[in-house]
Amino acid sequence: MRELEDELIERVAEALRQPVHLDAALDVRVMAEVRTRPLRRSNWFLRSRTIRVTPLGALALAAGVAALVLGTAFAALRLRPAPATVSAASAVPFVLVAPEARSVALVGDFNDWDTAATPLRATGLSGAWVVTVPLPPGRYRYAFVIDGMRWLPDPGAPRAPDDDFGTPNSVLTVGT
Amino acid sequence: MAGHISWEHESDAALVRRVLAGDVEAYAGLVARYRDRLGRYAVHLLGNTADAEDALQETFVRAYRGLAGCATPERFGAWVFRILVNRCRTMGAQRSRRERVVMSNESMLGEADVAHPADRQAWAEAIRWALDRVSPEQREAFLLKHVEDLSYQEMVEVTGVRESALKMRVKRACETLRALLAEVERA
Amino acid sequence: MNSMTRMGGLALTLISVLGRSAPAQDARLDRLAPDARAPVASLIDSARAAGLPAEPLVDRALEGASKGAAAPLIVAAVRRLSADLGRARDILGRAAGQAELAAAADALRAGAPPDVLVRLREALGVRRLAVPLGVTADLALLGVPADSAATIVITLARSLGDDDLLALQRDVERDVALGAAPLAAAGGMLDASPTGIDVTGAGTTRGTPSAPVRRKP
Repeated sequence: MRELEDELIERVAEALRQPVHLDAALDVRVMAEVRTRPLRRSNWFLRSRTIRVTPLGALALAAGVAALVLGTAFAALRLRPAPATVSAASAVPFVLVAPEARSVALVGDFNDWDTAATPLRATGLSGAWVVTVPLPPGRYRYAFVIDGMRWLPDPGAPRAPDDDFGTPNSVLTVGT
Repeated sequence: MAGHISWEHESDAALVRRVLAGDVEAYAGLVARYRDRLGRYAVHLLGNTADAEDALQETFVRAYRGLAGCATPERFGAWVFRILVNRCRTMGAQRSRRERVVMSNESMLGEADVAHPADRQAWAEAIRWALDRVSPEQREAFLLKHVEDLSYQEMVEVTGVRESALKMRVKRACETLRALLAEVERA
Repeated sequence: MNSMTRMGGLALTLISVLGRSAPAQDARLDRLAPDARAPVASLIDSARAAGLPAEPLVDRALEGASKGAAAPLIVAAVRRLSADLGRARDILGRAAGQAELAAAADALRAGAPPDVLVRLREALGVRRLAVPLGVTADLALLGVPADSAATIVITLARSLGDDDLLALQRDVERDVALGAAPLAAAGGMLDASPTGIDVTGAGTTRGTPSAPVRRKP
């Protein structure tokens, strides 16, 4: 009986050892990505990798769909890293998925929490709003303001530990 | 193509050294050498090719990023396998959240697909169906032991899990697969 | 040391002391309501005199103003942050910069015991700590136990630069946003590390017996 059972496991293993078909372009994608990131350099990575996506439409979207939106945004970004900048400030893009918003603003330590200073631009794609902000190295608290009145932290970023004024913020570290 | 031929005759350690010295293209040799074996593991562990390719791509990019930390370049294969195992664990956890809602339907589809195990395709699908019903930890241990033919010592190195726990996981995976597939074969 | 040098040094010291003791009030504080402005300015002056950075305190007050918070709330928030920065400075030393203090304050507020910060400082020596501290704090804020977060960061910071650390942190943020357990996702940061220590507990996980799996009738 045991021999028969082990024979079955061996047949399972044999079937699983057969080669699997993988996308031939996988190697190309890997190499395209690593070519943008030479080793042993200090400034190669950060920049446009910092993407902040907030699924405001979570009320309307199922959680799985929201996750898919997040995943898609990140996947697209992975394949298209922007060239690194050499200036002291890093261009940090912020993205918010808010299909029903009429306006979105970014507020934080970097703009004196001025709700008029950094509006996001609607892309017309899946309700995404974007803005890119040059930020010197440092640690920043920030939030989004929807339609001038609704404050929203970034669910894809760490939540700031103190919530002094009743609406939570997110934190972002920008490196040198 | 000359580059490709030269990769085939170069050891892992030599390729790693070339990459670290700045020859990014030499990394393609390492990718080509390990993509199929790593891809096979990822496909069977995650259960679908799209997630597996995603895991594989991230694994190779992470390995490249941390290549200076590969303490024994001649064992690049084991080192990158460890990265993949960890990546698949994380992706498996994410997937289980995403797909929880549709699991019940998938179960019914799985049963429908295993009606004729004598057929090679059906047998492969039966295995896939059964493997999906083994816990991720047990599936990981089973694949490493029986499909990738790793020794328990190598498995400890790759997974960071104690040997006794690995043996238990392999045993339980085999028990589950035997129970499920024996039933399929009787059908 | 000749007398000219001494005079020059004295002049610099006086300028420095006078500069610190009589700072012009930050014009941005005009945005605060009158009953918040004076106490906040006073707190900021005290912090500056104690060698703490003023900018985070101004930012906190402006945040409160933008959110329409009442004056007592704003004053309390600034006071609390000043105390947090003071604690962080006591632990990290007077050489710590603004970003380091802000990150350390966040880590403490996230529940990191002070000895975690000491461990980071001692392990990483003279390296600037802003990013390692920031990553530690952020991992803790994501839900990774502070001690594990510090262990991961110390391990990685020995071989990786700031940008690499931040890139790995973003991987963790993404994984957590997509549903991964924080500690498991953070443990993944070590995937490509030289030492590959196990902080996730995976090494001690026991194989749990699973219920018999049967096909439905």
